[in-house]
Amino acid sequence: MRAPLILIFSIIAATHVQAYSEFQKFVTANSGRPVNCAMCHANHDGPEGTAPGQIGRLTPAEQAELGRARAALEPGANINSPILNAFGNHIVNSLGKKKVLELRVAPAELAKLLPADGDLDGDGIPDAQEYLAGTNPLDKNDGDPWRLFQNNLKRNFTQILLTLAATVAGLYSLNHFLHGFAIATRSDDESEES
Amino acid sequence: MIDAFLFIGLPYVAIVTALVAGFTRARSNKYGLSARSSQFLEDRQLLWGSAPWHIGIGVVLLGHLVAVCLPGVWASLLTIPGALLAIETVGVAGSLLAIVGITVLIVRRVTSARVQAVTTTMDLVVVGLLLVQVILGLMSAISFRYGAAWSTGTVVPYFWSLVRLQPDMTYVVDFPMLFKLHIVGAWLIILALPFTRLMHVLYVPLGYIFRAPQLVIWSTTRRRQQAVAAQAQAESRREFIKGAAGAAVAAGLLALGISEKLFSFFKGPRPDLEADSALLAKKLQRLQQTAEERELELERQRKEMILIGRYAELTENKGKYFTDYRMAPGLAFKGKDGLPLLISAKCTHLGCTVGSEMDNQGRILCPCHISYFNVQTGEPNAGSPAKAPLAHLAWALVDGDGKVVVSQVPGQPAQGQPNPTVLAQCNLYITKPGLA
Amino acid sequence: MSLRDQFAKTQAYLAERFPVEKMNYASMVEKKEVPVHRLSWGYYMGGLALFFFIMQLVTGLLLLFYYQPTVSDAHASVEYITNHVPGGALIRNLHAWGSSLMIATVLVHLLTAFAMKAFGKPREVTWLTGVALLGIVFAFGFTGYLLPWHQIAVNATKVGLQSIEMVGQYLPGALARWPTAIKEAIQGEATVGQATLSRFFAIHVIVLPLTVFAVLAGHLISVQLHGMSRGVDDPPKRMEKFFPTFFMKDLQVWGMAFMILFILGLCVPFESFSAYPLFEPFDPQGSTPDGIKPEWYFYFVYYPLELLPFWVILIGQHIAIAVLALTPWIFRNTSRRTLRVLAVAAALYLIVMTVFGETIYKLFKG
Repeated sequence: MRAPLILIFSIIAATHVQAYSEFQKFVTANSGRPVNCAMCHANHDGPEGTAPGQIGRLTPAEQAELGRARAALEPGANINSPILNAFGNHIVNSLGKKKVLELRVAPAELAKLLPADGDLDGDGIPDAQEYLAGTNPLDKNDGDPWRLFQNNLKRNFTQILLTLAATVAGLYSLNHFLHGFAIATRSDDESEES
Repeated sequence: MIDAFLFIGLPYVAIVTALVAGFTRARSNKYGLSARSSQFLEDRQLLWGSAPWHIGIGVVLLGHLVAVCLPGVWASLLTIPGALLAIETVGVAGSLLAIVGITVLIVRRVTSARVQAVTTTMDLVVVGLLLVQVILGLMSAISFRYGAAWSTGTVVPYFWSLVRLQPDMTYVVDFPMLFKLHIVGAWLIILALPFTRLMHVLYVPLGYIFRAPQLVIWSTTRRRQQAVAAQAQAESRREFIKGAAGAAVAAGLLALGISEKLFSFFKGPRPDLEADSALLAKKLQRLQQTAEERELELERQRKEMILIGRYAELTENKGKYFTDYRMAPGLAFKGKDGLPLLISAKCTHLGCTVGSEMDNQGRILCPCHISYFNVQTGEPNAGSPAKAPLAHLAWALVDGDGKVVVSQVPGQPAQGQPNPTVLAQCNLYITKPGLA
Repeated sequence: MSLRDQFAKTQAYLAERFPVEKMNYASMVEKKEVPVHRLSWGYYMGGLALFFFIMQLVTGLLLLFYYQPTVSDAHASVEYITNHVPGGALIRNLHAWGSSLMIATVLVHLLTAFAMKAFGKPREVTWLTGVALLGIVFAFGFTGYLLPWHQIAVNATKVGLQSIEMVGQYLPGALARWPTAIKEAIQGEATVGQATLSRFFAIHVIVLPLTVFAVLAGHLISVQLHGMSRGVDDPPKRMEKFFPTFFMKDLQVWGMAFMILFILGLCVPFESFSAYPLFEPFDPQGSTPDGIKPEWYFYFVYYPLELLPFWVILIGQHIAIAVLALTPWIFRNTSRRTLRVLAVAAALYLIVMTVFGETIYKLFKG
């Protein structure tokens, strides 16, 4: 089991595959949040290695897909690379591999080139902004807390209002029940109290 | 033709008559504007008739009013799951209550001698009209269900078209006869309003809800003492009613909001096929990872030597991760003398995995609290959070025939003949600690 | 003093601390009054802590239906709850926010009870049970944090337990190995793994709840029997009836707290405040992400631990716990004004170290 894996790894290692740490360094510095390779890659430690989502563990069919993805220099290629997650594939599909390689010297520009309304996780924060803020663009529970609060507040406004109404009604009811109980159990010598 | 009369002519006649005649009556005969209560004549049956009637019809009319005045809000309220059913149920319950009440009132009006003495023909007409109208309404609600929803697209625009003086009866002409009669009945009631006791509909004693309970007593000592207890009883009863009303609202909202969700929570998700298989694939992957970990553990318990890679893979600057005999991470570098250099990668500070890139000073970095470890000696840098050095690990290079070519135990010199050509074909193993 | 006199004295002492003669409707409900003064807001803090605890019980019970306490499935089950179970995301987020709000409220309750000298005679037992509850609540937080089995959970627990081991360097001879043995006994194995997860789960879900029910029952009965303490040195100008006025206001505070918790739980995912790599499944073979640290309510110990020598923290902790436990006797004759000053000082320390701890750490470490 191990020997073929090592063989494959050596072959692929010879083609100088590297993760692009320029993007990671930029995002960590820009946002203050330490991010890892999992923003774009399938494995949190990047594409190299033998863990799930890394090159050393690909089946032949997946390797063919990886080859296709590596060759997708122009946008619109509709690839599905096994070492990239949905966001990584989205970047390559929207920009093309050539542009991605060019952006290694100017990682900040990636945010401007991504489609402005793209929101893969549906949390209300566009992917480009999640990239700049260092939050996971594929997790709708990860994002800038203040913006998530605003978006979710709007989305769930009716629910909150109804819950508020139920709480107010419940407190109103308890208030009057307690008062009624207090009046009913009042002893006669304190009857003048309201 | 008949439709045009019933749904355009009659409404305008009814509304104009109600306004003009009502206004005239109010101005000319203010004290005649009464509900002509007969409570002093007969109050037992009145309680069982009037209370259910008024509560029931109040609830029903409130629903009609909200739908007419705020159709947008009403429609969006009905999108909440369960809201439509709840509202329809409340409406049907209200109308049943109203029917029971008005039946008792009719029986009372027709059988009680005292009440008969003050009954006019119009009284009987009105009470009959009301009964028929409520029955028609209930039958419509049951036969053509969910009227709360379909009314916002039919009856409500029809009504507003009349108000805007652009009458459009196409909204209602295609309805079944049963429902059309209900609409006609409504216009007839409005027409009858200024000529009967129905005038009392226009002034609702809202103040009664907020004013304090009143007791009228004879002013004797005994009754005054009794009044204290009676006052407390009346007050506490009022508080309990308010409490019950609040509790009903709260419980209703709670039931509406939570019951369906709670049920779904316990029932669990029913994902579609794609989501289901994605979940299963993920679970399988995690199980496989656990299985692999257990295999590694077993291997480390059983074997004296464990393969971690080929000698040819090792580089001087980037370590290769492996799992050592204690299931902790380790790094394998190629040392300056060409021999493997194996070091534990579990930081001696707080156990984080140390990074694999060697910097230009020959150190690897633990990212958690920034400790640098010299790969050659294992020592942490001065002032780093880690105090103890990383341990080096015992290794052996084995050639294709399974013979150990070179091996080293930390603290002792390497044993064996390091021949570069032979080494290039060798596999790197870690050896079990505690053996010579 | 003869034995008989001693016995009578002890009996009188206990009778004052456990006034069972007040366990009737008239004393506990009808006649009970609560002082009204500018620190009266402090009287609501204990009830608020109880409210958040009840929320934790309910949401925790609901989570228990779907959580799986094995290292291969724990993280996946939490993900399942968040992404697939209807309402699961809300319940989970309520539980996370609830724990933070509960611990914050418990700390405020501690400080206000201290400042109002609520530990004064005859309420010493209330105070002691309260200190026990404080420890239990922090234990809840520590054990519960491990359960999602993500990077920050496992690594922060390792870091926390390692601090027990560090005591060994100060112990002589053979005793030096005892802390390591104790740590491994808590963990259940040499490193934090399945044994640790199983026992932390059992502790969090059964052992601590049973303990808390017992201690809380004592604490609540004691509070109800003794009534609210006076709170300020001046004699109270106004008193309000406990039932229904104060009780109703207490419930209104609960209503507000519920709405705040609900809105937070519905709209702000608890994990959005930290970097996402910290919440990935724990990977023993892979790298450890940056930013591993314990939950915010441990910062007041964690950052000093990072900045000062270990023995300082060790001794300081023990002194603090001893002072806390013996407060009714140490501060028996202290004026409430002094107590307020001390409470404000403690509050300032807690707030500054919690909010600015990381900044302070970076300042000193460069």
